[in-house]
Amino acid sequence: MAFNLTRRKFLQTASLAAATIPLSKVVSAETGVAKASLEPKGTMGDTTVVGGLCEMCFWRCQLVGKVRDGQLMKLEGNPKSIDNGSAICARGNAGVKLLYDVDRLKYPLKNVGKRGEPVWKRISWKEALDECGSKLKAVVDQHGPQGICVFPHGASAKYPMHFFERTVGTHNVSEASFFQCRGIRDSAYVNTIGKAPGEMVDMSNTKVIFLVGSHLGENIHVSHIKSYMKGLQGGAKLVVADPRYSAAAAKSDIWVQIKPGTDTAYLLAIMNYLVKNNKYDKEFVAKHTSGFDKFSTAISEWTLDKAAKECDIPAAQIKEVAELLAANAPNVAIHPGRHVSWYGNDFQRERSLACLTALLGAYYVKGGWVPPKNPAKLGKTSWAPQEHGNEHNLNFLKDKKVYAFNPPGTPTELIRDCAISGKPYPIKGCVVWGQNPMQTIPNQEKMKQVFNAMDFVMCVDVMPTDVTMWADILLPESSYLERHDEIKTGVGKVKATDKEPTQFIAPRMPLVEAMFERKDQVYITNEIAKRMGHEKEIPVQTLEELVDKTLASANISLASVKAEGGIHLQPGFSPYGVPEDFMVQLFNEEIAAAGHPGAPTYKAVEEVPAGYARLLYGRTPVHTFNRSQNNVWLNHEMSTNPVWLNNEVAAKLGLKEGDTVGFINSEGVKSRTTTTVKVTPGIRKDAVYMYHGYGSANPLLTAGVGQGVDDQSLITKIAIDPETGCHGMRNNFVKLTKDGKALDIPA
Amino acid sequence: MSESNTSQDIASLYRFMAQCMQYPDSEWMNDDFFNVFYNLLGTFGAITEGKEIRNALEHSSDFIEDLQIEYTRLFINGVPHVVAPPFASVYMDKSIQGSFALRTLSFYREKGFTMEDNADLPDHLVHELEFLSLLAEEEDFTGEEEFLSKLFRPWYKQFCPRVAEETRHPYYRMVVTLIDSFTKEEEEDGFQLNEA
Repeated sequence: MAFNLTRRKFLQTASLAAATIPLSKVVSAETGVAKASLEPKGTMGDTTVVGGLCEMCFWRCQLVGKVRDGQLMKLEGNPKSIDNGSAICARGNAGVKLLYDVDRLKYPLKNVGKRGEPVWKRISWKEALDECGSKLKAVVDQHGPQGICVFPHGASAKYPMHFFERTVGTHNVSEASFFQCRGIRDSAYVNTIGKAPGEMVDMSNTKVIFLVGSHLGENIHVSHIKSYMKGLQGGAKLVVADPRYSAAAAKSDIWVQIKPGTDTAYLLAIMNYLVKNNKYDKEFVAKHTSGFDKFSTAISEWTLDKAAKECDIPAAQIKEVAELLAANAPNVAIHPGRHVSWYGNDFQRERSLACLTALLGAYYVKGGWVPPKNPAKLGKTSWAPQEHGNEHNLNFLKDKKVYAFNPPGTPTELIRDCAISGKPYPIKGCVVWGQNPMQTIPNQEKMKQVFNAMDFVMCVDVMPTDVTMWADILLPESSYLERHDEIKTGVGKVKATDKEPTQFIAPRMPLVEAMFERKDQVYITNEIAKRMGHEKEIPVQTLEELVDKTLASANISLASVKAEGGIHLQPGFSPYGVPEDFMVQLFNEEIAAAGHPGAPTYKAVEEVPAGYARLLYGRTPVHTFNRSQNNVWLNHEMSTNPVWLNNEVAAKLGLKEGDTVGFINSEGVKSRTTTTVKVTPGIRKDAVYMYHGYGSANPLLTAGVGQGVDDQSLITKIAIDPETGCHGMRNNFVKLTKDGKALDIPA
Repeated sequence: MSESNTSQDIASLYRFMAQCMQYPDSEWMNDDFFNVFYNLLGTFGAITEGKEIRNALEHSSDFIEDLQIEYTRLFINGVPHVVAPPFASVYMDKSIQGSFALRTLSFYREKGFTMEDNADLPDHLVHELEFLSLLAEEEDFTGEEEFLSKLFRPWYKQFCPRVAEETRHPYYRMVVTLIDSFTKEEEEDGFQLNEA
């Protein structure tokens, strides 16, 4: 460019005055910087702001923020917390970097390009909301409320989800936390013990911790891990069934290197051994279970030898574990797991865990499964529930449920099939709120077809993700550090020596103000509701009001909790002692009546085809799936996800530690990116393993894009759990590729 | 030219440059604006560049939308990456709202200024130019020079080439070059990047 002045030459320009005269006429009168009305105060110094509630994952540790001049400098555990205490994990610390991530969404954006290949234009909130409101209303007017599908996730998605589900009236809501994660567990336990189990195992007081696939230590929830570590420090034995030498397996007394997909057979054999050898808790079974005879008959085929063969583990080891559990019952912690949507036979595995707990009498006893006595349930303030019938509920066929034991919402695959085929009715509007269906739901091509079938797609998120590329309108949400929200309740001990627990209530409060034009879920939902003709049904005007109304049911308020240091404490009660009416359905007649096995039953999964390995995935301690992949601190700690490959297999393939490989799955889908090989004896020969949540395709993620391999892109074969309709995602098989050539995995 | 007039001219130029870097909107980005803009370019001998911009605008069916898309891509969220976030901290601290933003705010305060409630972050290019304009109005040339050398140039000289090289629209190439020229001394002082 010819233009090459400097400031000095600039000012020496003879006609400068003439040129500058009209400048003032075309500039705005207002400036963002203005003369201060008072004497300048200088820096205000650091302040500690209370009331933070972490959402780098979903455990909701209580936080305080060190704030300087409105800027969050550091996050710490709230010293008043009796849950996580003053500790937070690596991800919790890195929340600062989410808050100030350069790539974060800042303003409403309109896609003036194509879905999947967006060209973004900043627009005003009014224009954005007008478009969302009018487009969604048009869908409802033309196709009915069922024409809208919703993929929500996280605390902020609850309010809008209730709006679309209850007020607008669509059943087509699918939460990843249920259908691609823990919904199977909750449904299995509800249909066995009448309650969702959470992870409410009293590990700190137990004698044996029994984990199936749970890789605690890599999967970190602070108070849960503290309880686990306390248990281990207290001498608890640890049994870990996992095809991989996980962080938990590394601490175990017994590592059961089980063949993937066979866990239920393993559990049935343990239970059958306990029953056959009279090593179960007869008193508990007599008083608190039903269907024992049918149950024991149904599982009787599962001898140690049969299970040993099926699970590819020694019979003696199954016996050893069964004996260990029996010897320490009832003080044994049979962990229900968390992410359990593995193989499409998962409901039965979860039922097995619940039944095993019963045989050991390990409910409501020290070291067993013990639901804490939390504060009385807080009132629910949200959109008023309304009855919408089941005519357009895809999970109902002629008044009969397709998936009889589905978790709340509609199974994802039913929604996707309907959206793509237009049958039995068209789905033409899609709302994605805090979820990233491109990386949470298997078969990405199918997800793309869903978006392409829509008249309108809106996404609300804090960050660009792989799904936001498919939005027509993309709205920036205030993060968990910038808004009121979710109330965490629970119990803990103020002092370790306390005899009785203390209850706590911790509402989320903002630690800093939201920057740019980010808005919270109540504002966004209400504005859309007004434009869809639902103004009169709006339950609250602000998010703050919603939280305050909810707290009022416990006779406290945001102001009073803030004055208490961000956490309200009140006396609690001992959680031990089995309620008189507590019943475990070892054989469930309702499940049998619905056409499924009434007693826990093992269904074999597809064998690994020759030349392939089963693709297993899991969590890393420093990431929460794809949500944190762009966080620069966390990315720095673990920027990629090496694939675990058995050392003997690696030797046969000529691969060594650090080699770069790609993948191709049994359906011919190739990974978009590559990763490195981790050679280890700590993985079975028939499986490979990688951490989930890498390899984002969204170039808006400066740090996260293309880092490592997106395991979800290789999960194209869809398994459905027949009782719940939830996905199973570990029935996909891969070969490694090197220099463009696929390598056959040796048997 | 008296010193007072010069300071007013400088103030006007800063304010105009701040305006140029606002999100495009037909409210202000109209014929009057472009007439003044082309006139200014002519004054500095950038006639060819002015013609290039005029040509780009005249050949567009919706030049405001073109500029909005380009502004979004360059400065807000863009594919493949946001090209050049207009915040000092991004370059000095590798983060939004880093310590450099705090130092910038402190400088405003020392000079008796504050951020309005609806303002963007203190180290946003627009606000820094507004601040420089206000200093010029007060004839605080020492302050202006100090701000330029310590808090503006260190990041702007990284920001400017990113935009100039990456932009697909001659308007933004010209605007960032104009700002560069107006804030650049012959000798740039060295400045240490803060550790992220």
